[in-house]
Amino acid sequence: MLWAYVISGLGIMGFMLMRFSRSEKRADYLNTLAIIHSAIYLILSVIALIKIQQPSYFFSRYLMIDRLSVYEVLISCVIFLLSSFYARGYVRRLVHSGEIEVRELTLFYAAYNLLLLVIVFAFYCNNLAFFWILLELTTILSAVLIVTLNAKENIVAALKYVFTASTAMLFSIIGLIILFALTRHATGTGTLNWDTLMQQAGTLSPRLFTFAFIFIFIGFAAKAGIVPFHTWLPQAHAKAPSVISVLLSAVLLNIGIYGVLRLYAVAHKTTAWHTVSLILIGFGVLTIIIAALSMLPRGNVKKLIAFSSIEHMGFLLVGIGLGTPLALFWVLFHTLAHALVKTQLFFSAGILHQQYHSNQFEDMKDVFALQPLAAWGLIIGSMAIIGVPLFPVFLSKLNILTQLADYSLPVMFVLLVCFLIVAAAFAAILIRTIPQSSESKLEPYHVSLSMQLPIVILFAGIVLIGVYFPAGLHDMLMGIVRSLGF
Amino acid sequence: MLSFLIYALVNTVFVILISPLFVSLIKKVKAYMQGREGPPLLQTYYLLGKLLKKETVYSGNTSLIIRITPYVNVVCVIAASLFVPVIYIPMSVGGIGNIILFLYLLVCAKFFMALAGLDAGSTFGGMGSSREMTVSAVIEPVIIIVFAALSLLLKTTNLYQMFAISLKSSLFINPSTLLISLSLFIILIVESARIPVDNPETHLELTMIHEAMLLEYSGPDLAMMEISHAIKQTLLMAVLINVLIPWGLTATPGVLSVSISVITFIAKGAVLAIVVGVFESLFAKSRLFRLPNLFMLAFFFSFSTILFELLR
Amino acid sequence: MINLPVLDDITKILFVLVLATAVLIITVRTLSSLFNIYSVQSWFIAAVAFVMYLKTGSIVLLLLTILTIAGKAFLVPYVMRRIQKSMNMKRDVEFRYLTPIGSILVGTAMIFIVYWSFSKFLPELSSDDLFIFGAVIGVSLALMGMMVIFTRKRMITKILGYLTMENGVLLFSLFIAELPFIIELLIVIDLVMLIVLATVLAFGIDSSIDEFHTKLNSFTLWFKE
Repeated sequence: MLWAYVISGLGIMGFMLMRFSRSEKRADYLNTLAIIHSAIYLILSVIALIKIQQPSYFFSRYLMIDRLSVYEVLISCVIFLLSSFYARGYVRRLVHSGEIEVRELTLFYAAYNLLLLVIVFAFYCNNLAFFWILLELTTILSAVLIVTLNAKENIVAALKYVFTASTAMLFSIIGLIILFALTRHATGTGTLNWDTLMQQAGTLSPRLFTFAFIFIFIGFAAKAGIVPFHTWLPQAHAKAPSVISVLLSAVLLNIGIYGVLRLYAVAHKTTAWHTVSLILIGFGVLTIIIAALSMLPRGNVKKLIAFSSIEHMGFLLVGIGLGTPLALFWVLFHTLAHALVKTQLFFSAGILHQQYHSNQFEDMKDVFALQPLAAWGLIIGSMAIIGVPLFPVFLSKLNILTQLADYSLPVMFVLLVCFLIVAAAFAAILIRTIPQSSESKLEPYHVSLSMQLPIVILFAGIVLIGVYFPAGLHDMLMGIVRSLGF
Repeated sequence: MLSFLIYALVNTVFVILISPLFVSLIKKVKAYMQGREGPPLLQTYYLLGKLLKKETVYSGNTSLIIRITPYVNVVCVIAASLFVPVIYIPMSVGGIGNIILFLYLLVCAKFFMALAGLDAGSTFGGMGSSREMTVSAVIEPVIIIVFAALSLLLKTTNLYQMFAISLKSSLFINPSTLLISLSLFIILIVESARIPVDNPETHLELTMIHEAMLLEYSGPDLAMMEISHAIKQTLLMAVLINVLIPWGLTATPGVLSVSISVITFIAKGAVLAIVVGVFESLFAKSRLFRLPNLFMLAFFFSFSTILFELLR
Repeated sequence: MINLPVLDDITKILFVLVLATAVLIITVRTLSSLFNIYSVQSWFIAAVAFVMYLKTGSIVLLLLTILTIAGKAFLVPYVMRRIQKSMNMKRDVEFRYLTPIGSILVGTAMIFIVYWSFSKFLPELSSDDLFIFGAVIGVSLALMGMMVIFTRKRMITKILGYLTMENGVLLFSLFIAELPFIIELLIVIDLVMLIVLATVLAFGIDSSIDEFHTKLNSFTLWFKE
């Protein structure tokens, strides 16, 4: 089964490297290959969901397909497919305006597809050390993707990203080694496989486990954008082309949270559970506070969206830290909801960037007249991300906050205040921007169908999930929560 | 008591005789590194002999200080040489051998030298004194920490016992003493005024630190200042050598063991002198404000030694 | 295999030397000296790995020694020197937040904190003296590397700080637990790729954008020139 992923991935890459003469055709050719690639992966993942018995292990237990992995892989494939569509028009426009060299398109798309391959395998990983290696690979690949724009700030942003993430991941390795030694001490053979860890969790010494947990958490938190390791995030997400921002925000942050979730599932079985919960909730609350406060003075639309990502990741951490089955159910739902809404926000921001050649809010004049679709996308996306009812984020926020109230009422009030601040930030900016009009008439940028289509699909998808909760999804999420041991 | 007098005589005479040799050896090594032949190994002895034959001239503006400083220096340094058993380790008498007292005897000599630099009222002398005191003010706390680490490591503040304990240890090189000897090496460089702290062969007064204070001396006075500087260097070399690699050193005086000890000390001292010469040739003189970095390195190593001692 | 106490002492002496190189990396300002110190440090760590191999006989350690020497003592400094030559920078004199003196003081404090926290937790795993010593030195080396990343301005020194961190983690892993070799190999490959990427990007910051993108386009061209 997993070989199918590898073979199709490498096959597509092989096609990409074949030479093609005309530059215009080349961009489309590469993009078609990317779309086919994501589509194949989506189909394979659906097959894996339906056909493969979960959990099943491959490759001498280094890889596994289990419910949580398939769920995350499905989300990632959907996002990649949508952004491949979007990339068609977006990259064409970038080439046209000279922001990307034609020669680099091959590198761009090769890294793009390789990133999908690596992400899928990271989710399918059973071994923590292998997971770590793949996480580092995603850092490298996404940094390459950020840099393909011809700008010096991109290089600075990419370097900051690579350094912060990799430094934190080195701490993670220290934690992994301690964990390995811990399991070896407790049972005789060291292991870093998730399933063996879940089984042996009861025998591990709680103090040492907490010690190892803190180190490993540092690495995953840096990848997920948790304060105080988030410093790379606003710059990287803002400077990258919008296509890549989508991937960074919706998929890569998910991997970090996935790692923390799996680790928490192991911690749940040890007696150090309460300390670990406290750590997670503490970091989550800190992240939300800092993110909310940073959103107020923002003038750059993509930075605003990036801080919103940080805030949501903090919220996910709080949800995970709570540890009740209900909280975890809604955490899993929230990853899906957040991915979809964030994608839509970045797509709209991308169109606006192409129109105004700038990300600053004050440059966006006559938004409704020039780009109605993107404007509506921004408005609806902002409402969705804040948590307005009718949209899915409302459901998850409501339920997780209710669980938090059971745990600690003052913390819930602090979070409510922060969410109010976030809502105020978004609202203030939108209210200021939409009525702006300029004296000189700007040319409307013609948005290609490939860029409009994903936004429309996402509109429909977000409202659908917000209003109607599919029973299949409910069963799947309950299955995941139970398989994690809650 | 008598044995101590014999020890005092033998130690002091040996140190006085061997110091100019080490000074010349370092000069020779530096010359070879620069591609020259350099002065002969006995040059410093000839220099001292020549100076002793000349007459002393004092400037009209000087006072008592410049007249007594050479004597004070030589006396302090020779007293300090009693503290460092170079050839064999005798029984300790009174407080002799205490490392803090050793340090302060050397500081006393330095203090008088600085005062005398000011005595003639010349600008270069004053400049040399102020620079020397600045460097000293920064290095003294570091030296205290280094000696404290050394005492913690060897569990005593008495140099005689330190060397005895070091001699008894069965290890090739004790890792902790290696760490502290890195600090001791840096202190050797600073106290004997070598590159990168100060260039001992410079003839430009504006670049001098130590030499500037010696500009006003002549004849036997200058000979005494030179020999006291050389003896100070040898004593610090001896501390480093006998703590790190004490073979050859004996605790029981006997003609055979003392001769072996003499030969091994000269050999070890020569190796250390060559190392110092090479080290000097590899670096350039640091700016005055960059010197604290070097001292910080010494501080770091001694602090780590203390830490690793606590680790046991 | 061989179980002489002298091996333990040789290891401790090597630790001392590694610590000396670590503090030199914090303070030295000339770039070529930094590369030399890093190379020497890698040699020392390879020597530690070799001594551990002699002690335990595990073939993984021997392979790790060879890998460390080939990769970190030769390859990485060679790559860094090529970059430095094309970037035409000799010294990195700018420090941010902490001067060298402050860095050394902070480094000393860090060693102390690491020792204090490790001595509370790690004796549960094994009370071997060398075990804790190795762990403390490894993590201290990693923390000092992190300090280099934060206190220097030039990118190439930051890369060197990251490499020092890697060395520290390697040292730590030698003593606490050896992961299976395939994992170690993949980790090393990963990190080498990271270094290559970071150096290419660092080159890009200092050269003109056109040159940079030509080189980014085909890595092989970059190595050929």
